[in-house]
Parts: sequence; structure tokens; C-alpha cells
Amino acid sequence: MSGLKKFFAKDGTKSVVSSLISILIGLVFGAIVVFIVGMSKKTIGVKGAWEGVRLIFFGVLNTGRSATGALTWGFNASNLGNMLFRATPVILTGLSVAVAFKTGLFNIGAPGQYLMGTLTSLAIALSIPSSAMPTWLIWILAFVGAMAAGAIWGAIPGLMKALFNINEVIACIMTNWIAANLVTWFFDGSVFCNVEEYGKTGYIYKTSYNNVATTKLGLDKIFAGSQANAGIIVAILLAVAMYIMMNKTTLGYQLKACGSNRHAARYAGIKDKRNIVLSMAIAGSLAAAGSALYWLAGNTEFFWSTYQSLPATGFNGIPVALLALNNPIGVVFAGIFMAMLNIVGMQLSNLTAYNEYLTDVIIAVIVYMSAFSLVIRMLLNGRRRKEGKK
Amino acid sequence: MANNSEYVIEMLHITKEFPGIKANDDITLQLKKGEIHALLGENGAGKSTLMSVLFGLYQPEQGIIKKDGVEVKINNPNDATALHIGMVHQHFKLVDVFTVLDNIILGAEDTKFGFLQKKEARKKVKDLSDRYGLHVDLDAKVEDITVGMQQRTEILKMLYRDNEILIFDEPTAVLTPQEIEELMQIMKNLAKEGKSILFISHKLNEIMEVADRVTVLRRGKYVATVNTKDTNKQELSNMMVGRPVQLQVVKDEAKPTDVVLDIKDMCVYNEVHKKDAVHNVTMQVRKGEIVCIAGIDGNGQTEFIHGLTGLSKITGGTVKICGKDVTKASISGKSENMSHIPEDRHKHGLVLDFTLENNLVLQRFQDPQFQNHGFIKFDSVRKYAEDLIEQFDVRSGQGPITIARSMSGGNQQKAIIARELDRNKALVVAVQPTRGLDVGAIEYIHSQLVKQRDEGKAVLLVSLELEEVMSLSDRILVMYEGEIVAECDPKKVTAQELGLYMAGAKRQDNKDKEVAGA
Repeated sequence: MSGLKKFFAKDGTKSVVSSLISILIGLVFGAIVVFIVGMSKKTIGVKGAWEGVRLIFFGVLNTGRSATGALTWGFNASNLGNMLFRATPVILTGLSVAVAFKTGLFNIGAPGQYLMGTLTSLAIALSIPSSAMPTWLIWILAFVGAMAAGAIWGAIPGLMKALFNINEVIACIMTNWIAANLVTWFFDGSVFCNVEEYGKTGYIYKTSYNNVATTKLGLDKIFAGSQANAGIIVAILLAVAMYIMMNKTTLGYQLKACGSNRHAARYAGIKDKRNIVLSMAIAGSLAAAGSALYWLAGNTEFFWSTYQSLPATGFNGIPVALLALNNPIGVVFAGIFMAMLNIVGMQLSNLTAYNEYLTDVIIAVIVYMSAFSLVIRMLLNGRRRKEGKK
Repeated sequence: MANNSEYVIEMLHITKEFPGIKANDDITLQLKKGEIHALLGENGAGKSTLMSVLFGLYQPEQGIIKKDGVEVKINNPNDATALHIGMVHQHFKLVDVFTVLDNIILGAEDTKFGFLQKKEARKKVKDLSDRYGLHVDLDAKVEDITVGMQQRTEILKMLYRDNEILIFDEPTAVLTPQEIEELMQIMKNLAKEGKSILFISHKLNEIMEVADRVTVLRRGKYVATVNTKDTNKQELSNMMVGRPVQLQVVKDEAKPTDVVLDIKDMCVYNEVHKKDAVHNVTMQVRKGEIVCIAGIDGNGQTEFIHGLTGLSKITGGTVKICGKDVTKASISGKSENMSHIPEDRHKHGLVLDFTLENNLVLQRFQDPQFQNHGFIKFDSVRKYAEDLIEQFDVRSGQGPITIARSMSGGNQQKAIIARELDRNKALVVAVQPTRGLDVGAIEYIHSQLVKQRDEGKAVLLVSLELEEVMSLSDRILVMYEGEIVAECDPKKVTAQELGLYMAGAKRQDNKDKEVAGA
């Protein structure tokens, strides 16, 4: 047993180190870009560029500017809390992509599954009057309902793949757009209670209108002034559950066997078709859970009319999973890291003359490097092997 | 270039290292003009590395290459071609939809104002094929011609480029006995005409028949170069493996008893070719015998085994194992009394990215021995893997936690055999269990199969290697175009006769009467 543990540890270390290296390269590259942009802009200059570079690395820990105009650093409760809040959905879409990847499937359908989660969670949370049953029960129904809807939406491409050998990427893209239009159509015709804004109704949905909101669990005390809630804990618990499922159970063994070599799995009597559908259904339910946790928070507002496009959170699951090398535990950290960059972007635009979209450049580089994290891992492997021989 | 050297190619003290392993360690190979020189070694002995060095694919750390006594630098395959070195790969590099002639001139076309000049090319190829007895149909498409003719096309390709040094990489693996004989004759003709031939093989019979000298490699090291007339098969295989090897299969008379596998009129439909790939096969395998299905690759053996084991659907007839009708059973249902050593160990046999221990429990992870309420018992998996590894002598870098992909072919196959035989089923189906393996591993696998038979198992073997068929089986069934065309006793039948059955030139009907076939 200790040998096996050691093996996992070793493998884990390699994953973590290679991901950290790609993050570091991304940040350094981002810093260079920030510096160059700063130098070429009169409004920023050397001092501003240096501030930008520091914000790129430590933006979440910035507490603003002192009276003299210097950046001040420390525990920024609202930044950190918002980081956790924003990380929640992206951890789950990342988990969705990672679990599918582990079983040999590319779940590019996370945005669609996320949208189905949006539709179901909002529909349940807003259509059951809070006078009819306790709001926590409504919350749970909405959450579970969203996961079920996501599972069904994920299972569709899975079924197509299993039965007709249709590539899951194509089927996922189709179901994404079907979901986008379905959601728009649904809310267009809905009669849920909603926020009135600028005299318009039927426009913005917010679950706290029906008194449904994720419990704060004291996180609002620790991270005062932020949107942090228990959602992040649910996300972490799901990640741990996925880790256990993939690595410790016969179910995970089967799923991985099918993903790694469908033919060999079939040869061994494993039901490959069932496993493909199951794997996609699990992935779909995770993406939808991320969506439910976001919309059920109570302080988020859903504008249906803008939802003819696909949510970026769904697609962001892909880089998160890549960065985490598909390790469910790694996904938690990768998701938090992506959320951190998001906060950093806001800090940049609030405190300096930089445009917040600069962080998108950094995210792009890190995503690019995360593909390289496999290469870095291989380099680490090669190095270890060489050392072992010496 | 002055030709004052006895040798046309010399590879002197070649050392090629890869991270952590010396693939070639101080190897010297000298090829005389006009000789057939065999390069013999187990898998992983460094044969292909050495040839890749000669071809310019790798640069050696140490050592030099001389052509006609003059040192040359071969930095890439183009350099090799310029030095008139040509190679027939094990898997032919031909364009299926091109004609033979087009394939031969491909890459060395004569053009005038950008137009192909096929007329002269045709004449040159025709001359070459007449001169060396290489019969090909120049206007036939490659996809329509036999494997033997494809190989002759490859040889003509080398000759068309005026290559002087011809490398044959395991050329006989895909041929029938008749075609092998033809090839041997062609090689001798080529040598007579002054071409120098390097012949990579691990088939001792062929080396003894055709080669003048043999260089033996073992684990990246040079062992010896000997004249074939001064040595024998036993000595060569001992040199290659590094210990005395049992070449002959040792077994007693079979004492078959009860019927284990009973197949009646089995058909398997092929969706691609819209016809039965397996047609009305009726056969039995009894306890205590090894029944072998012989035949040339692609005559329905694969489909037959897939039908039997459940990887494809059976479209007609019945299959009974141990008296139980399993015609329509699922894969796991069929394997209740059957273990299956699959033909393609990478596709079906192993999950290559899994660890060895996970591969060893591929069918059994649901057994209570290995799981508790869906949670894998890692301790017992480890223990079981360690036992099997020890019992079947599976060698790997890190034991149970070795990734299967990193293991050598022989040890991968041993792992599959360990897993399958340990399941202890009444019927053992082994499909080409020794393909691509060296004599040491073959010896081991043959002895294991004989042991299974002696323990009262029914063994069904599918093999393309005639020698294996003849030496291992107690009964031979020849499959041709999806049908069993002959049943032979290996003690009575000759390889030539089997070859005729396999090629469809001869067949038995139910009363053992011979009729003219295709």
C-alpha cells in the first residue's frame, strides 16, 4: 500500500510542478507584456509599469493605495472572497472537462450543460413559491434538478458516440447551440417573478427574489464585503468525490479503462457503451452543478436576452482541466487561480491606467502553456530517469 | 571511388545511446560485396537502431561507417540513398491505388518539361524484373496484387534506384511458404549478380538457408559474426539468447477426452465486404489437445475468433463451451469458461497506459477478491500482481507499477498470458501468441501452452507461422476464405501440402477426397 501511495504522490508531484511551471511562465510573460505596454504609453511610464507587474503577481493581496499614492498590500478580504466565489463555477466546469478527459472524451459541451443547469436551477428556484416549502429545500431541489438536467444534456453526445460512433466534439457543439437557443426561448416565454429594471420586466432573474440563496456559512464574515458563500465548499467536496471515484473505485477503473483503450475494455467484458454514456452524464452534471451554484448564490442576476451566446465559464473549464492535468484536486487550485487572474484584471483597471483585458492576454498565455505542461512533465520524467540511471 | 576494400559497407564500433540505455554498444558489422549477411538478435537487441544508424536516421555517439573502405558521413536518409543503400521495410511502403510501375518510379521519376517519361522507366523496370526473375504485373494496382508481388515491387524499387546494398527487414513475416522459397531464390540471384544483402531476421531456418554469414547481437552488444556453414541453429539461438534454448517443442502424445468447444455452422458476417467472413465453420476442441487453425492472414481467422469471443456478432450457427450454448452471450458471458490471448496485444490485450497490476486484473476487478462495495482493494491487487509476475517471470522496470507501454513486447505478451492462464478456464484461445517475439519468449509461451494441454485444458491456437503450427498442434485445421478446407495430422502432413491448402489450391471435402480448388 505504501508503495502505491508513494507512486501516486510521485505522479502528483510531477503534475503539480509542471502546472506550476506553466503558470509561472504565463505570469512572467504577462509581466513582460504589462511592462512593454506600460513603457509605450505616456500615461503609465516606468513607475506605473512596475506597479502593473506587481499587481499581476500579487493583485489579490492589494488593498488599494495609501495617501501618498503608493500601492498597499495586505489581506484583502473582499478580493479573496470574490476570488473564491468566481472560482466555484469554473472549478466545476473544469472538473467536468477533466473527468471526461480522463475517460478519453473531450467534453466541449460544458457550456451547453452549464446553460441547461442555468435553466433548470433558475426555473425551480423561481417557480416554487418560498411560502410553499422551506427555501433550503427549494435550493436543494434546484441544485439536484440542475445536475440531472446537465447529466441528460451530457448523455446525449455520449449516446451518439456509443451507439453511432459520432464524434463527441461535434455532438457537443450541436448540443451547446441547442441549449443556448432553448434557454433564450424558455425565458422569453416564462412568467417567473423577476427584477424590474428601467421599467422593463421579464428581463432579469435573481433567485433572492424568491428568497432562495446559497448559505454563507460564515464565509461572509471571514471575507467581509465579498460574494463568497458555501458554493466553494460544495465545489471542493465534489472535486474530492471525483478524485475518489476516479482513483479508488471500480467504476473509475472501468471508466478509465474505456477511455484509455476502448477495445481492450470491451475485450475484458467491460460494457464500453454504457461507460461512455455514464462518463458524459457525470461530466454534464458537474458542469450544470457549477452553473447552479453560480445562479443560486442569490446575488447574481441573469439577463436572458444576452444568453443567445455560450457562457465563457463553460469553455474556461477546458484550460482549467488542462492546467490541472485532469487531476480533480488540481482542478480546484487551477480554478481558483483562474478566478484570481480575473480579480487581478479588475485591480489593474481600478488602480492603474491599464485596461483589464490585459489579463486575458495572460490567461491566453497560461492556457497555451498548460498544453505545454505535458511537455514539461515529460521533461521532468526524462530527467528523473536519467538521474536514476546514473 | 577506389574499391580496394573487401567490404562494401563497414560499420565499425558503433555506439548509440538513448537516455538511460545503450541501444548499440561498440557494434561492428562488415558487409562483403555479393554476400548475404544476416543480422540476428532478440527484440530490443539493437538491430533496428543499427539499421537506422546506417540509414542516417540516428547519429552514433561513437564509431564510423565506411563505404568501399572510405569513411562516409550519413546524416539523413537522402545520404543513404546517394550511397546506394536501399531497404525493404517489414510493412511495405506502397501507394495502394497506384500501379506497380508508378510505385516503382515514385520519387525517382524521369520528367521532360515537367511531364512523366514512363516509357523508358517501363523498359528499365522490365529489364530488371527479367534479369532477377522478379515477376510483377506492371499495370496492376498494388491493392489488387498478392503480398508476394508487393514485396517484389519493393525489391524492384530498390533496384530501379541502382542500389547496391539491399536491406531486408524481416521480409518473410507476411509470406506463405511458397513465397518464402521464391524470395530466398531471388535473394540468392541478387547476391550472385553482385548485390550485397543485409537480412534482418529472427527465423533461424531462413538464415541457415540463405545467408553466408551471420552477425549476432544481444542486448545492444556485439556477440559474434560466424559463417553459416560453420554453425547450426542451436548454436545461433544460444548465442542470441545467451543461454541454451529448447528449439523443439517437447510434448507427449495428446490424450484428448471430453469436448469443450463445440461449434456448428458458425458464420460471421462482414459489414465492409458484405459477405460472410466466416462461413459454416464446424469444429470441436477437446480437453487435452491443442487444435491449431492454420491459414494465410486475412482468411477469416480474426473474424472467427472475434465471433467466438464475442467481439463481433455471430450471424449463424451455434457455439457451445462446456456444453453451454453461448452463441448469443455477452463477452463476459462467453469468457466464463474461456480465456483469450488476443491477436493484437496492443489493441485488445492491454490498456497500455495502465500499470501492469491494473492490466493483470482487467477482467477480474469486480471479483470480491479485488473490490469491496465498489472500492478497489489495492493491497490484494498488488499482492496478486506480484504473485503473477513472479510465477510467470514477467520482467519490467518497476514491477507491478510499471506502465504497460514501457514494457518490451515479449514481457507484455507474458503479462497477458499470465493473466489469461491464471483465470484457469477450460478453454484457452491463443491467437498468434508468439508473433514478433524472439526464440526465448517463444520457447516459454510454447511450453506454457503445452502445460495447459497436459493439465486437461482445451487449447485453440491460431497461427500464421507454419513452423509453430507443425510443432505445437495435435490437430491442424486449415482455414481458407472463411471456411475450414482441411483437417490434418501434423505428424503426417508436410509443410508443402499445408501450404497448398492455405493458398486454396487444394481442399478436402468431408470424405477426405481431394478436389481441385481455386
